[in-house]
Amino acid sequence: MTTAKKLFSMAYWPILLMVSIAGCELPPKDDSLKTRDAYTDDADTVITNEEYVMITTAVTMPMYVNHDQAAFIRWGGKMGVKVSILGPAEWDVPAQINTIEEVIGTRPTGLLINGTDPAIAQVINKAVSAGIPTVVYDSDIPGSNRHAFLGTDWYEIGKMQGEEIVRLLEGRGKIAYMGILGLNNMESGFRGLLDVLKRYPDIDVVGKFDDKANVEEAARIASDVISAHPDIRGFCGFDSNSGPGIALAVREAGKAGNIKITTVDWEPEHLQLVKDGVIHMLAGQKRELFTWYGAQFLYDMVHHTNKMAANDAKAGITSIPLEINTGLLKITKENVDEFIK
Amino acid sequence: MENLKCNNISKSFPGVHALRDVDLTILPGEIHSICGENGAGKSTLMNILAGNLQPDSGEVLIDGRAVKIESPQMAFTFNIAIVYQHLSLVDSLSVAENIFANRQPANRFGFIEHHKLHEDTRQLLDSLGLIAIRPDTMVFRLSPAEKQMIEIAKALSRKPAVLILDEPTASLSHKETQLLFTILRTLKESKVAILYISHRLDEIFALSDRISILKDGRSQGTFMLEELSREKLIATMVGRPLNVLKDFSHSRPDVLLEVSELNGAKFKNISFKLHQGEIVGLAGLIGAGRAEIARALIGVDERKSGTIMLNGVSVYFDHPRDSIERGISYVPEERERLGLFPEMSVRDNIVSGDLGIAEERGFYSVPKATRVAEKSKNILRIATPTVDQKVMNLSGGNQQKVVLAKWLLTNPKILIVDEPTHGIDIGAKFEIYEILRSLAAEGKSILIISSDLPELLGLCDRIIVIREGEVAGDLPRAVATEEKVMSLAAH
Amino acid sequence: MLKKILEDRVYSLLLLLVVVGIMASILFPNTYPTFDNFRQILLNLSVDTIVAVGMMVLLISGAFDLSVGSVVAFAGCLTAYLMHFYQLPVPIAIAAGIASSMFIGWLNGFLIAYHGINPMIQTLAMMGIVRGMALMVSGAGIQNLPYWFNAIGQSKLLGIQMPVWYMLFTVLIFSFLVNKTVFFRRFYYIGGNELAADLSGIRVKRMKVIGFLLASTLAGIAGILLSSRLGAALPTMGRGLELRVITAAILGGASLSGGYGKIPGALLGALFMGMISNIMVLGRISGYWQEIILGVILIATLWLDKFLQKKYAPIT
Repeated sequence: MTTAKKLFSMAYWPILLMVSIAGCELPPKDDSLKTRDAYTDDADTVITNEEYVMITTAVTMPMYVNHDQAAFIRWGGKMGVKVSILGPAEWDVPAQINTIEEVIGTRPTGLLINGTDPAIAQVINKAVSAGIPTVVYDSDIPGSNRHAFLGTDWYEIGKMQGEEIVRLLEGRGKIAYMGILGLNNMESGFRGLLDVLKRYPDIDVVGKFDDKANVEEAARIASDVISAHPDIRGFCGFDSNSGPGIALAVREAGKAGNIKITTVDWEPEHLQLVKDGVIHMLAGQKRELFTWYGAQFLYDMVHHTNKMAANDAKAGITSIPLEINTGLLKITKENVDEFIK
Repeated sequence: MENLKCNNISKSFPGVHALRDVDLTILPGEIHSICGENGAGKSTLMNILAGNLQPDSGEVLIDGRAVKIESPQMAFTFNIAIVYQHLSLVDSLSVAENIFANRQPANRFGFIEHHKLHEDTRQLLDSLGLIAIRPDTMVFRLSPAEKQMIEIAKALSRKPAVLILDEPTASLSHKETQLLFTILRTLKESKVAILYISHRLDEIFALSDRISILKDGRSQGTFMLEELSREKLIATMVGRPLNVLKDFSHSRPDVLLEVSELNGAKFKNISFKLHQGEIVGLAGLIGAGRAEIARALIGVDERKSGTIMLNGVSVYFDHPRDSIERGISYVPEERERLGLFPEMSVRDNIVSGDLGIAEERGFYSVPKATRVAEKSKNILRIATPTVDQKVMNLSGGNQQKVVLAKWLLTNPKILIVDEPTHGIDIGAKFEIYEILRSLAAEGKSILIISSDLPELLGLCDRIIVIREGEVAGDLPRAVATEEKVMSLAAH
Repeated sequence: MLKKILEDRVYSLLLLLVVVGIMASILFPNTYPTFDNFRQILLNLSVDTIVAVGMMVLLISGAFDLSVGSVVAFAGCLTAYLMHFYQLPVPIAIAAGIASSMFIGWLNGFLIAYHGINPMIQTLAMMGIVRGMALMVSGAGIQNLPYWFNAIGQSKLLGIQMPVWYMLFTVLIFSFLVNKTVFFRRFYYIGGNELAADLSGIRVKRMKVIGFLLASTLAGIAGILLSSRLGAALPTMGRGLELRVITAAILGGASLSGGYGKIPGALLGALFMGMISNIMVLGRISGYWQEIILGVILIATLWLDKFLQKKYAPIT
């Protein structure tokens, strides 16, 4: 044992150490020291192989497919440019980051990135400093140098649900809420909800639950809550599957209409439940606008549609909006018919 | 069916001619034994008849018509049934479901009729004299012997014209063996052709009408029973005369191991002494608790009470690691399940008892392991082209030598061997006896557990008979006879 | 020679990698065969590979651990939590993160080896428990980690980001250990035949605990490395990683029934998957296809293996 160990340590370690010292390069101390805009495209450069790439996570999620991706593809068709959609099938942020990193190497014309988590800031900055126009949608990424952001304020989604449930319950009663715990946007939504509720002392919040974006799980949680608190009067949901799950449990308990439900998203299933009077309000996002205008911003930036300076990049500015709040849809029984196609 | 005939069957595997121009004729109403050492080609021939293998050349004729048996299913359609040496039963299913596997009686909707299934099974079991086994018993609850009987029942349930049995008695007790023989003789009466493969010469002589001998894949001829003597059979099989067991003891006066009042789950009040250079046999029926005693000695199973003195010092082992370090090694029964790493190489198996012997300058070295293994291979004459060969590709006798080699490398003072010659051919058996005797000559003590009485009588200085977990007798070589041992063991 | 290559998965996979690499270079001559792209592929598979090394050792011994993905998240989140909320020094927080993963591995191994709980059930349950704990400590994720912590995963050596070097180092060390030490060779025997291994004087239970401990510890290290590389700890890190890693190890020559596998196989398996997913990104093939193609490749590889075994191995 000892001889071999000695040999090993004598031969390898010093070499390793020397190489490490010679070749080591620490990361920059502060990202913000870099210029905000490294985009240096000249006005008269001919754009070749024009391609816009959208990178999300959970690329198969129906809500993403039906709204974000559908609008993006429609936009590509209308403009006659190539559009590609990439990303892992699961909700896997590191995998989304890996995909972005690999795409940067292929130098697309523009990047449209779903702001899934603040952790993607670094890779967004990498794309920006590689000179690729980059737009973030859905949730903003603090500390990133993205050129533009389009999305909804999740805090507002929570606030809207809070105000509506308070109105529906006339300011008193027990409520529970659920969503995917640990996601940044949902946590802001929860904060928005609670900030409204804490102004009403007669509202009693019985719990915060993780339905793991799963209808069965949401239904199971809701029915457990109903058994534990027979006097529960309201539920708020924060992911696409919360609403249908809660609605199922409430229906099975024979309390449809009596227990008030507010939730997010406006898939056909949600709309039908509003029409049936099981769900009382939907806080809907205008997701089509995220990707349609996001792509349009990229296009306008590349094509210098609205030139501000002789050379925007040199001037250190961009010719597109910095932040867009697309606003929310409030869908209730009164206007639901307008959404059912 | 009139007869089954094999003409000029040849089959080779990479590097081995398993069968070369073998002819064989099996007639209805005869019990035809196939003899040969392991590796002689018996299993290959059997697998060709069962449809598991296809011959490279030659043909199989049924009633004079050449047929191709392409799969086990096809063998069934030719009314050929086979009882495998390695059990083919599913532990988690009932006896009835195993026997009628895949052809359970069903009604016109395709649902299994359990009532009829159990009734048919009951009838079959009764006809075989297996009255104690219930059709709905789960197979995992059965003893190995009972499992073997179910295996036979399964083959018979197809009412075969040709029945092939491969070492059917390997796990059967004397009584069950007799029962099997009765069944086979009845089948013979009803004109079933029986192909019987066994290493046990006594059985072959007790049962057969005709005997075919294979050696190195070649047929050595088919003989009527009357034409063969034991010696002639062995000589034809092995191709050389064997030394008979010599009556000679290496026992020395010093007591190496003293077991007193040992109690365990399956045995009680076991006391005995083992002297240096002595070979002691543990005789008894299957299930008498002999293996359990050995397992308690080396620290696999827990002992309830009692002492084990090694060289006059009381020892306690809670893992075989401890016993190996103190010089007691146990060569387990059921080679493939407990003794071998079947998919690993001969080399890896040989060094597995003490991986430290393959260390060179503190690290595991494949060349060193190869050198060690090669040395063992030469000393024990293990027949394998290289030590890189997977051990499962070796014959049973060579596998057993690998296991022995592995334990000898742990350099034990006491070697406990459990059924060391189970299912191996006679040539290899004698080689193993030689090895054990030479170990005793070196001053090692050997405790041997065996169900083969002539083996114990020929090899041991003393035979301790275990009956139902207790010592029933301790017979020195001078007074031990087959009858005495059996009468003590059975009762 | 060809037979030898086809028989040893490490060589056959290497051959396959070269073929796939050449094909990809022809398809994407400008984007695929570049230093940047390869650097990226290696960086992206580094965390998976470190976990796969531990999984390979476990698979050799005939077991596997489904909780590693959760351990990646938990170790990263706990380390970040201690640094961010308690201002613990970086080395102490890292030590705590690694210790927590060691404890999880030990508990898995202890319950499996000494109390006979089925490994799949045990680690499946642990996967849920540990994921829940990761959510508890990190909430929506922890950003703004200390500079020196981020430097661990974001520094570069010879132009290549550190996780790649850690990965290569882990693979080298464990290849050496598994090949060259009696201690690690025992895992092959346990996987080959557990009962025989025990009778051969290998303390099987103890070794099993060590196997789980090792797999979990490497997962913990990988998790901390991932947080450092991302500059953030997310409770959703390592989702689905356990199956990816088992797939990589199986591609690399391991068998679910134990006894087979070599450490470099884990790297090559992960590299193969990384190359395929990279090629699909370059080819702009969407995520759902990626899963389908990987599944098909896995089945094809195993089928090919059976086919080759049948062709070359004697039946006796």
